[in-house]
Amino acid sequence: MTDATHRPARNKIVVWDLPTRVFHWLLVSCFVLAWLTSEDNRFLHVHVFAGYLMLGLLVFRLAWGFAGPRYARFGDFVHGWDNVRDYLRSLLQGRPQPFVGHNPAGGWAIIGMLLMGFVVTLSGIVVLGMEEGHGPLRGWMSPASAGVFRELHETGAGLFLALVGLHLLGVVVGALAHRENLVLAMITGRKWVEDIDTGVRHHSLLGAALLGLASMAAADYFAGYWLHGEEQAYQPFEGRPLPQSDTWNTECGDCHLAYHPTLLPARSWNKLLEQQHDHFGEDLDLDPDTLAELRAFANRYAAESGIDEPAYKINRSIPRDQTPLRITDTPYWRHKHEDIDAAVWRNPKVAGKGDCAACHLDAEQGTFEDSDMRLP
Amino acid sequence: MTDILRMLALCLLLGPMLAQAAALDDLLQQYAAEAQRPFSAEAGKRMWTQTHPSPKGGPDRSCSLCHGEDLSRVGKHARTGKKIDPLAPSVNPERLTDAKHMRKWLKRNCKWVLGRECTAQEKGDFLSYIRSQ
Repeated sequence: MTDATHRPARNKIVVWDLPTRVFHWLLVSCFVLAWLTSEDNRFLHVHVFAGYLMLGLLVFRLAWGFAGPRYARFGDFVHGWDNVRDYLRSLLQGRPQPFVGHNPAGGWAIIGMLLMGFVVTLSGIVVLGMEEGHGPLRGWMSPASAGVFRELHETGAGLFLALVGLHLLGVVVGALAHRENLVLAMITGRKWVEDIDTGVRHHSLLGAALLGLASMAAADYFAGYWLHGEEQAYQPFEGRPLPQSDTWNTECGDCHLAYHPTLLPARSWNKLLEQQHDHFGEDLDLDPDTLAELRAFANRYAAESGIDEPAYKINRSIPRDQTPLRITDTPYWRHKHEDIDAAVWRNPKVAGKGDCAACHLDAEQGTFEDSDMRLP
Repeated sequence: MTDILRMLALCLLLGPMLAQAAALDDLLQQYAAEAQRPFSAEAGKRMWTQTHPSPKGGPDRSCSLCHGEDLSRVGKHARTGKKIDPLAPSVNPERLTDAKHMRKWLKRNCKWVLGRECTAQEKGDFLSYIRSQ
């Protein structure tokens, strides 16, 4: 280590103002949370919250990049290619050029991450609207056209992760090369610098406001968990109500869950009603009027109607030449339930594979929202 | 004036109640025309727990398999596990008020438990038993 006395005077100054730091760590939290909740549908609402918060943070950061103090501004860390090349060369030679804020290579990683953040959150809102029927874009387009946005959402997330990897590599390399604790700097905001620089203001009030706003949003979003008791479990997502029929709910619902017509294609319902005298071994003994009413309701809102996500996805999964008589025989149902542990099915609270309501809180309404699931 | 209103309210209130009781009495009268003996809640109670072998090899079937032996409590569908509201009118006043509903379920459940439709005598005995609970 170089003897400190031979070096120019060093000052400890504020480089990262509080709003920038709050933004950074909240973005990290959103990113981690969104990744952790991206696979399991039960946590879709948490995933969506992380996305909304991330979008809000990104919008703030965009504005702060123009209106914020020196080191937070894009003008400070967005460099031309020449500067990036010179910096990388100096880094390879072991004598990295000093930069108080972001170095030219790091600056571009920041821009890339911000860009990917926007791509991922905005495409996420589109997918949420089209596939799940939620958010500001619900009902905007049919679920059938969600594919390209889903690709964009997933590819964008992958690229974002790759950029985070580069960013972390940069932090490690930069910390070693410049001999400074960059992680600590992003916590305290302070760095040792070797030139005469007074640093920036903390902008504490704005930083605290940003943190307060994010906390309030989280409290509002998740309040249902402690407002609802065991008796009436919290359903984070409430789907658009599906059309109901009293006759359907009585005739089907007297013996089992009145599975909504959206859960099977019309040809399946018609076959089931034709076979009403041997309905899985039972004789339904329906009179002609009731039968006609049930048939009309089933045909109108069968899976082909595509009026919600289960309808669309179940219908899509069934080969045209097949007529499943059980929802549990449809490829989509099988796919969605294949990872469920055998112990769950053996649980006395689960009366069988047809007992949707054992886990799906909204089975009676037929909406089968991703977040409205609880394993018993 | 207030007396007329009171009478009117009483009629509005009692009307449906009487109509419901009438539904059961009408049905019992129809069955009685075909029955050999007066209906007996005791006979209904005995048949309630009588078991009949299942044609499919499941547990023996009886009324009480799904509805339980205590009619004032919630039952459970033997195959689907769905809860069945209590049958006893003393705790569930909606029971025995709808003739169509009573006919439908007497027919379906007799076929399921006994493997045949019940006779008018049996139906009357069952209804008398349920009514007494």
